[in-house]
Amino acid sequence: MPKIIVIAGALAFIAGAASAHHGWGSYDAAKPVTVSGPILTLKFENPHATITVRDNDKTWTVTLAPTSRMHSRGATQNVVAVGNNISAYGYPSTVAKDEMRAERITVNGKTYEMR
Amino acid sequence: MAGMAPAIFVALEQSGFSAAIRQSLWVYPLANIAHIVFLFVFAGTVVITDVCLLGGFAVTDPRPVLARARIFAAAALLGMAITGFVLFAAEAGHLATNPVFQLKIVLIAAGLANAAVYEFWLWQRITTLSSDAAMPAIAKVTGLCSLAIWISVAACGRSIAYF
Repeated sequence: MPKIIVIAGALAFIAGAASAHHGWGSYDAAKPVTVSGPILTLKFENPHATITVRDNDKTWTVTLAPTSRMHSRGATQNVVAVGNNISAYGYPSTVAKDEMRAERITVNGKTYEMR
Repeated sequence: MAGMAPAIFVALEQSGFSAAIRQSLWVYPLANIAHIVFLFVFAGTVVITDVCLLGGFAVTDPRPVLARARIFAAAALLGMAITGFVLFAAEAGHLATNPVFQLKIVLIAAGLANAAVYEFWLWQRITTLSSDAAMPAIAKVTGLCSLAIWISVAACGRSIAYF
């Protein structure tokens, strides 16, 4: 019985630490968008990497994943580098104008999950 | 959102110190985990203190328990303040305008005021009690306030990311 409690506690702690970043509350999952175009700027930073993307006549701010997850998924600084063409599928912010949170991104034919 | 934040918080977010926190792969996640570990210690020792003040654990003399818990709670609070500042600095402009974060800060101030009542007024009364005496009514009020306030602070902390 104590063993079960220790395991449950450890799992709860890991889950808590892993999800202790921003939630998805302020993004509208009912209206997914795809933003495609060249990457204009990159901030490879915690708590989330962010890029700006020029899609036709609009510049989107695209929120990506924490840097540790970007690395583990293979979406390194070289992949989301300024100048690369990207296609980002995600959800628009209900708070900030022209901001979206990427569910997945595709660069050079390779798709990276952000969640 | 950051545009609406007071200039001092925007300046903090744009400082080299904050940029270094964001640009490190490990500092932010480590501060995040350490903040939670200090929370365990703080919450644990605060709950022990509050239950004592409410008359729980009455089979033992509450004074040595309270004296020990007080030291651990103070140390853990310091740890939470340091790690919390690291987390705050990284996103100071955004957090300063976050309504749940603002509520959390107000609640922390209330928690510290309540702790000051315990520290500067109640503590002396408790140390002069006999070992088997009942806690004074003010101790029970302070203990209940402490439980309610710090649980609310924790709930706010967990909710910041969702607002």
